[in-house]
Amino acid sequence: MLFFSFFKTLIDHEVTVELKNEISIRGTLKSVDQFLNIKLDNIQVVEEIRWPHLSSTKNLFIRGSVVRYIHLPSSAVDTALLEDASRREATAAKDKKAA
Amino acid sequence: MSFFGFDATLPRDRGHSSQAPGFGQAQDAFAGLSGRGAADDDDAIDFEETYDGLGDQLDETDDTFNDDTFGNDKAVGKDFDFAGQTSRVADAIEGEGLLWQAKQPPPNIHATRHTTQPAKPAKSGYEPYAQPTYIPDLEANASIWGINPKRQAQNQQAHQRQETNAAAAPAAPARKMMSLEEVEAMMLAQNKKPTPQSMPQAQPPPPAAAPQPQAQYPSHYGQMPSQQGGFSGPPQILQRPQQPPPSRPPPKAHAELPGHAIPPPGQQQPTILQRNRQSVPDQPARHTPVQQAQRPPSQPRQILQNPNRLSGHGQPITQPGQQKQGEFQRGPQLGPSHARGPSFPGVVTHPEQLLHLTEEERAAYLIEDAKRAKRNHKIHLLSKDNGLMTPQDKNFITRIQLQQLMAATGGLEEHGPEAALTEDFYYQVYCQIRGAPRQNPHQPASQFAQTYLFQTGGRYGMGRRHHRGGDNHMQRMEQQVQRAVEAAKAKPKNKQLVIEGSLGKISFSNSKTPKPLLNIKRPDHGDGAQGSGRRPSGVNAHGSTIIDRKTTLRNIENVYDCLMKLEDHERRMPPPLAENSDPQTIQAHMEWQTGTQRLHETLWQDLKIMEPINPNSLTPHPFIAILSHAKGKKAIPRIFRQIDEQQRIIMLTMIVVHLDMLSVVAKAVPSPDEPNLSPAIREEVELFSHAVMPPLFAHIAESPLNIVIGLLGLILDRTNLHLVTRTKIGMSLLTMLISRAELVKQSTPEMNPGDWEQWMQLYNRLFDAVEPVLPSIFPGSVNDTEDVYVWQFLAAMGVGASPEQQQRLVLGVKDRVMDTVAVSKALPAELASVRLGHVNLFMRAIGLDVELLG
Repeated sequence: MLFFSFFKTLIDHEVTVELKNEISIRGTLKSVDQFLNIKLDNIQVVEEIRWPHLSSTKNLFIRGSVVRYIHLPSSAVDTALLEDASRREATAAKDKKAA
Repeated sequence: MSFFGFDATLPRDRGHSSQAPGFGQAQDAFAGLSGRGAADDDDAIDFEETYDGLGDQLDETDDTFNDDTFGNDKAVGKDFDFAGQTSRVADAIEGEGLLWQAKQPPPNIHATRHTTQPAKPAKSGYEPYAQPTYIPDLEANASIWGINPKRQAQNQQAHQRQETNAAAAPAAPARKMMSLEEVEAMMLAQNKKPTPQSMPQAQPPPPAAAPQPQAQYPSHYGQMPSQQGGFSGPPQILQRPQQPPPSRPPPKAHAELPGHAIPPPGQQQPTILQRNRQSVPDQPARHTPVQQAQRPPSQPRQILQNPNRLSGHGQPITQPGQQKQGEFQRGPQLGPSHARGPSFPGVVTHPEQLLHLTEEERAAYLIEDAKRAKRNHKIHLLSKDNGLMTPQDKNFITRIQLQQLMAATGGLEEHGPEAALTEDFYYQVYCQIRGAPRQNPHQPASQFAQTYLFQTGGRYGMGRRHHRGGDNHMQRMEQQVQRAVEAAKAKPKNKQLVIEGSLGKISFSNSKTPKPLLNIKRPDHGDGAQGSGRRPSGVNAHGSTIIDRKTTLRNIENVYDCLMKLEDHERRMPPPLAENSDPQTIQAHMEWQTGTQRLHETLWQDLKIMEPINPNSLTPHPFIAILSHAKGKKAIPRIFRQIDEQQRIIMLTMIVVHLDMLSVVAKAVPSPDEPNLSPAIREEVELFSHAVMPPLFAHIAESPLNIVIGLLGLILDRTNLHLVTRTKIGMSLLTMLISRAELVKQSTPEMNPGDWEQWMQLYNRLFDAVEPVLPSIFPGSVNDTEDVYVWQFLAAMGVGASPEQQQRLVLGVKDRVMDTVAVSKALPAELASVRLGHVNLFMRAIGLDVELLG
């Protein structure tokens, strides 16, 4: 849930999603779910010449499993908080395993 | 026909054509809706088709002797009593009728039927019930939902019209069908005593009267619908199968009739007859027109709402319905004479009513009736699929949905908001830090489920007020949800299913924990190693002198863990104590404070700050090692918040003692061949001055002079001052100490002179130590702009320096000052003023100004 929680905070920020088929799409993150499916708005393909068929697309839904990377806007990431959240997640996982 | 006296109302040419169906014609409540234009094309019972044309072949030539045969010119008279006398003929016709039913639809019966029953009734669907052995088919028949009755509706339509036209006729085949006996009784009564009030009482004792053949047969069909009060629509048919007694063919009751053709029904005759007689007296009283007028509307609605209910004893709940219920229960006991009486009183009374109504009233009544029928039809249309699902079915579906819902969310809510925070920590805190979130904060599933349940409950409360089982269902549903939650709680524990003998695993997933693609099992010894990292004191220091990076990192993590626990603990602080707090609150508070205490101790131990200092050790002190990591540095401000004054001094002391061993000092000393620091070190220094220094400065800024003296003494005694003074961190710390001492001196003139003496000694020592390295304390070249901390240090030194020391200071840094002034002349005005401003920090401290140099 950490990633879900994290990406929720990036909603309405501009991100670049790199797919496993090498398409990179820049757009405003509109929504994300627990499977890390993504909805992007106002998208722009980074290398538009290679994928001209996408040039008319304005918004899209990306299945979480086809995403390779998401480039984040660093200003919107609170690393200290993210570290703590990761610690919590790890602790919770450990507790669950122990229980 | 004519000898019954009906010909007045039914013109001969039409006879009982299709437009004037037989008595048994089922009433159709929807007649008014079927469209009047369609009334005539009733093909099912077209008289022309059924009529065999025999009448055309009659020899009419000798009609002149008819008078001889039938009597001449004399009025037929209406004083016959068929029900009493002529019914003897009935048995033969009955036999035929029943035979016809048995062989329905055999073609050879046609002629017979034609004579006895001029109009063939539309098939009503009730024929089978005339057979005593018939077991009703309990499946819903498509016809009952109004596919068939359309025909009847048209029929009825015509019928109604005719009736209106010939309203004056006493025995019109009224919509409320009269039994033969009643018609006759009425006519007799009209002849003898024309007072209308006496009519109901004037009904002849039915048992003696044999039904008229003509009416008898159709009555099988008419019986059922008329029971419902004359306005029976298709929905009421549902009721039918459960009520066999009224459907018994009336002829059975006439036990005294000789030569009864059909034996089986006759077996029950005696009892029926008895009951019949008993029940006679209370008949008329029951047939009050008012009741019947109220009844019809309520009936169909009840059926539509709950078809199943009606089938049994459950009759309408409305008041007239209750009355009717009583009648229904008594119905079976009533004899044949009232087979159409008590259980369907509307049949008896309505025609009478109609008779005595004025034309207007009748019209109004019919309009009203049509309206009712229209409404019923509407309801019927809307309720086409009503009752397909019982409330139980619906609840079942709802339960399944809820169960899936709970399983999908993984029962998040059972841990409360605490779990939500754990699961969604980043989002929650981030939103708190960065302002209100645009979306609603994560809404716990429990609220959703509760809302959902509440809504369902509301719907039941409104729609099913009479539904006794409603509460029960709700309870069961709630229980089910509870169970579902528990099941969901238990579910994550076995996320994988390993079927015996199979090589693979099946892993379950839900929305909360999507199926993990990688399942890496941590080797067991890993846990052991981690455990040793948690062991607090001495073991590492004594057992192994090497504190590796991993151990340090683990220590840091422990510190963070403890910090988070502490911060969580803070949130759980019970309400503040008051004088009148109840013991429970006090207890909670005490427990909370104990917990805080314990966590603080753990934190302090995790910091390793009290580990013995080993000056000869090659490895740094564990606490200093912690500070060499970025996340260790970041933890300091948070730790500082948690520890008390004493612990802060200890921490400060530890840092000061190891000042030259701090990575940000030891590694940040510029060497001649590498004047500029590496970016990594630079970053580290930056982080240290942002994370660690502020709390230290804040603490020093409030420290008394003796603490400052102590700290400076430690620096002078224990550290390599040359290293310290050549780094930003060391210089900043020295600046802080010196300026604090100066501030204390200025703010408290009456300070202890001994302390000041001690301070001056230390200051002089520091001055002497720094003076030789003054030219080298500046980082980089003259062009390096980040030298403000040096000027700050020089300023601090200059303020406290004696004039002689100031002289020496100026001499020491003279070159740098002159160079900076020279460089700034070549710089843009803004940058130049910044640089000169930095220099001026020092110059002004010793009473000079760069302007003087210009």
